[in-house]
Amino acid sequence: MSTLTYLQAISSALRDELRSDERVLVMGEDIGVFGGAFKVTAGFIDEFGPDRVMDTPLAESGIIGTAIGAAVVGMRPVCEMQFSDFISCGFDQLVNVAGKMYYRQGLAVPITVRLPSGGGFSGGPFHSQNPEAWFMHAPGIKVVAPSTAEDAKGLLHSAIHDPNPVCFMEHKHLYRRVKGEVPDGVFETPFTARVARPGSDMVVITYGAMVHTALEATEDLDGASVEVLDLRSLVPLDEDAILDSVERCSKVVIVDEANSTCAAGAQVAALIAERGFESLDGPVVRVATPDVPIPFSPPLEQAVLPSIDRVREACRELLAY
Amino acid sequence: MSSSRTETVVDVTMPQMGVSVAEGTVAAWRVEVGDRIAADETICEISTDKIDTEVPAPVSGVVTEILVPVETTVEVGTVLARIAADGSAATEAPANGDAPDAEAPAAPESAAAPAPSTTPVAPPAAAPSNGARRYSPVVQRIAAEHGIDLGQVPGTGRGGRVRKQDVLAFIESGAPAEAPLHIESPYRPEPPPAPAVAAAPMAVPAAGSGQLSRMRRRIGEHMKRSLETAATCTTWIEVDMSRVEAARKRLGVTALAFVARATIDALREHPALNAWLEGEKYTQHAGVNLGVAVSLGDDGLIVPVIHNAHELSPEGLAIRIRDLATRARARQLTPDEVRDGTFTITNPGQYGSIMATPIINQPQVAILDFEAVIKRPVVVTDADGNDSIAIRPITILGLSWDHRALDGALSAQFLATVKRHLEGVVAA
Repeated sequence: MSTLTYLQAISSALRDELRSDERVLVMGEDIGVFGGAFKVTAGFIDEFGPDRVMDTPLAESGIIGTAIGAAVVGMRPVCEMQFSDFISCGFDQLVNVAGKMYYRQGLAVPITVRLPSGGGFSGGPFHSQNPEAWFMHAPGIKVVAPSTAEDAKGLLHSAIHDPNPVCFMEHKHLYRRVKGEVPDGVFETPFTARVARPGSDMVVITYGAMVHTALEATEDLDGASVEVLDLRSLVPLDEDAILDSVERCSKVVIVDEANSTCAAGAQVAALIAERGFESLDGPVVRVATPDVPIPFSPPLEQAVLPSIDRVREACRELLAY
Repeated sequence: MSSSRTETVVDVTMPQMGVSVAEGTVAAWRVEVGDRIAADETICEISTDKIDTEVPAPVSGVVTEILVPVETTVEVGTVLARIAADGSAATEAPANGDAPDAEAPAAPESAAAPAPSTTPVAPPAAAPSNGARRYSPVVQRIAAEHGIDLGQVPGTGRGGRVRKQDVLAFIESGAPAEAPLHIESPYRPEPPPAPAVAAAPMAVPAAGSGQLSRMRRRIGEHMKRSLETAATCTTWIEVDMSRVEAARKRLGVTALAFVARATIDALREHPALNAWLEGEKYTQHAGVNLGVAVSLGDDGLIVPVIHNAHELSPEGLAIRIRDLATRARARQLTPDEVRDGTFTITNPGQYGSIMATPIINQPQVAILDFEAVIKRPVVVTDADGNDSIAIRPITILGLSWDHRALDGALSAQFLATVKRHLEGVVAA
């Protein structure tokens, strides 16, 4: 066990994979000599050399396309998008080529695409998005989103070992804020949900950075017993865990940091409406970022992102219902 | 002045009360021209050949026209009355300057209407809703599983809403204690499911004047006609309900549901009793449409029908019986739900009576009477033939049958079959 930050846990996973599996290589913009925009791969090029820690041109389509080719011939590439927002430039390669390769040609594409995502640091509209739902909508791609240091490492190992393309949503806001005990060496975290805090009066279903917002918002809610379910994996979605929580708690708040429409939480709400209806004791309540670009202005950004106060208020309202 | 008003006039029409009903009769008007009425308040009572019901006002406003007099039968869709909706004539009135007094008398008049009487018990926060309680899916499911009448559960949610924890607390408090067997029947007293029912006594305004209600008159006609038509005989049999008692506790359903199921099984073995006799025309039915008599208190009695009852388990029958009884009391049955019965069960066991001679529901050929189940000392014989006295829950089933259609031997066989099924219920 080591105490690591979320960011160190990601570095640790990459380093352990590079050490233990020669098929693994990492590639991205400025990840080599510079060590990456967030220093996730700092020092990697010295240990593993430029053939396995590849600096690439500023061309996401090229990064992912190259990774697909490498994966098809047996490598396990891990691509870093400098910011998850930039994935839109690599959309076709990821969604149309990687996501459908197995369906069309029976070829596995075991690539992992790391997507530093999320806002809260005044990064503005191009550096703060949570684009996970785009990929949930595209068959053939898995999407995971850890909220803790341990899950960041374990899910990254699982993603690299998985034979499918996996989008690994790593939340920038958590990089240095979240710290925890992390097992040493290679271990896998399953693509299932995790009960972050058990409860019985209400469940808050969320993932990523919002897990921490939800935990804090419901820490002391007039004595109510509030469960927090950390989805961890969005594709596959742990439907059994969601429905189990709904059955026990009967009241549900779903929190997304992403823009509200068609967010991951919208899918969760649809699932509950379809298969959890008989367990509900109130409307399914959603808290999400409204359908607007993320503002540069710090007060405006704080106003649009789901805050602890907003989540707490939504929970209070539903508890009183 | 009034000619310059832009009024929105809304038609009140004869509603469609079931797929097979084409017309209805106005039984009584609750309002007069010029009266104010609130949306969903009853504007008139109507009846078909099968049931009576009430027509709610589609909007709040002032009744401007009443077009169909009492006792007149019109087709579905016919305009019965017209209401000038609020926001037109009503809101125009205060604009007449210093004439607020002119509006004032309307209020005391309408205060005599029954609807406001429900508001004092409702918590003030519930004011925005129209008084009907709504329950979430989980609350309804828990209530159904435990046979709880949600009307009795105090709500602690917003506006007095019954929350999951309220119904769980209600169960834990033991409030819905297992009712004694002898009141296990659809006659179990239930508080009215909706405030609208509180207004029901209006339907018998003439209790003191000697004038019978429409429903009483109709029941009387049916009963008299049956006695004049059929050669009615009644046969009884004693049944040991021990195993039914055990099974019903395990399944959380009423004994009536088991009697219903056993009756259906017996009808399948003796289809001659699952029949109609109309004059000289005798018709046996393949499936069982089971009528279950439901008391409407002082108003009378109605027999909703469980169509294709042979397809249902005791649990399924219990759910259907409960649903039909509840809706019968709420006057929410459609005419289709009270027709085409092939056999009827009546179950007035609430007061401990043990035998009756029920009257056959024409044109059926028999009716089964299920009364109280009472613990009695009985002689039981063990496997070795030794007799002893034991305490057993016993009921007496009575079958009134039409001697024109069948004979006493068959009625006795039928009762014996019902008894065999009831005593053979698998308890575990």
